Amino acid sequence: MQEPVKGTVTPLASLFPPEEAQKASKRVQDALADRQSELDLLQGFIADNTALVNLVQRLPDELHHDIMVPFGKAAFFPGRLVHTNEFLVLLGEGYYAERTSKQTVEILNRRGNALESQVDSLKAMMKDLKAEVSFFDATAAEAVEGLVEIREDYVEESSSERVIERGPPKPDSPRFSGEDSMKVAAEDEEYARMMLRFDELEKEELAAGSGDEHDEDEHNEADVDHSLSQLSGDHVLGSLEERQVRKPLHHSKDEYATTEELLSKKHFEEDFANQLKSKIQLEGLKEQSVPKDSDDVSHGKSFANRATQSSSHGKDNIQALPTSKAETSVQSSKPATDSLKAFTGSIVEHTRNIQMNPREQAASSSQSSGSQPTKPVSRFKMQRR
Amino acid sequence: MDGLIQQKVQRFEEFVDRRLKPDLVHAIAERDKVFEQQEVFSNLRRNIENLEKNSVTSLQTMVNLGSEVYMQAEVPDTQRIFVDIGLGFHVEFTWSEALKYISIKEESLANQIQEYTRLIASIKAQIKIVCEGIRELLQLPAER
Repeated sequence: MQEPVKGTVTPLASLFPPEEAQKASKRVQDALADRQSELDLLQGFIADNTALVNLVQRLPDELHHDIMVPFGKAAFFPGRLVHTNEFLVLLGEGYYAERTSKQTVEILNRRGNALESQVDSLKAMMKDLKAEVSFFDATAAEAVEGLVEIREDYVEESSSERVIERGPPKPDSPRFSGEDSMKVAAEDEEYARMMLRFDELEKEELAAGSGDEHDEDEHNEADVDHSLSQLSGDHVLGSLEERQVRKPLHHSKDEYATTEELLSKKHFEEDFANQLKSKIQLEGLKEQSVPKDSDDVSHGKSFANRATQSSSHGKDNIQALPTSKAETSVQSSKPATDSLKAFTGSIVEHTRNIQMNPREQAASSSQSSGSQPTKPVSRFKMQRR
Repeated sequence: MDGLIQQKVQRFEEFVDRRLKPDLVHAIAERDKVFEQQEVFSNLRRNIENLEKNSVTSLQTMVNLGSEVYMQAEVPDTQRIFVDIGLGFHVEFTWSEALKYISIKEESLANQIQEYTRLIASIKAQIKIVCEGIRELLQLPAER
């Protein structure tokens, strides 16, 4: 992590020479001054408009008004304003409209709104220009001070697991200290392993083809369950729910709803508990808990067993649920579930599997976590028989 | 030697650009203004003569209230005219008085225009002199 990193040090002055920055700033200031004068002009128009509106409103109060009528630019005639409610308004391009006082006021109000919108846009432009000016000034000042820009190459993290776990690499995320980092590392490895296995399982599934959609679904769901259970089983620290919550967060591949996963996880636990119970009834106490191979995946099963073990320890109340209830609940949700919701199918399989293949599971439970399942699809079929 | 000449040339050029040319522009602008006023008064005179010719007693006009909003106005008696004589004053005239005033005004305006023309001419001459001097410095005197 402390390897020498290649980098470049560039003084800001070379990128933005101060004189040029100042010149640019000046240019922008000139543009700003232009805009300001335009703004003043527009505001003058607006003021004239409002004054005219007042005048137009007041004029109809009298029949005649005595005024000085201009005659050219340099002479006036004394006269009177007549027809005080008739106004001739220029609409533009040589078109006039004869309107009453109220109508003229409406026209003038509309003109005023147009002017106001122009003023607003001008103000926005001026704001941008001001920001530019301040930026240039700041840059010039910094360049004069001798501020330096440092660029360094980004060095990838050493452990690939970290990369997998983080998803989008966050090189700047602060390293947790002490136990936190260890815990994180352990979880990262766990997660990475789980992810790898998941990939493998998916590949196998795809390779095996869509033999039985049900099987596939179960397989998928089983994988998910296993990964979940594996996570929970391997980490005694923390609660299972915590793991579940973390898994969806980290897991970029599974877009399953977190609630679904939680639900499925609960069902899974329930199911395991039920299976455990049935196992106990059949064979004994501790031995059955071990060969609790609910899925065809052997190594996954071993983990699941461990998971259920820990879960069973932690949640005795779940065991109280009757097996049938779990199954019915599972089955009721089954038609609603897609391949995304694994448990229904897997739970059904589990009960049958346990009764049928205790020896297999005992053998498989001893397998390492990295071992691959030989033929998951076929096993399902076998188990079904 | 060359450096000195260059300096002199540059100084002359600067003088032309910074002093003489803006002065010229100013003078021309002032003269144009006076031209406009002259035009206004000649128009006025023509109108008054027209009124007199047709014996118009009353007028109906459109008065600009501002921002091109017009209103009808009536002038019942056109005998009296108020003419702007400058400095914000308007004098009440009859037609003949007005015409007399206008002719006097026009004379003074013409004088002003003449003044400005003279000024402009002198500025132009100065510019020409300086340019000639620069040319002499830069080129051989033989070239003329």
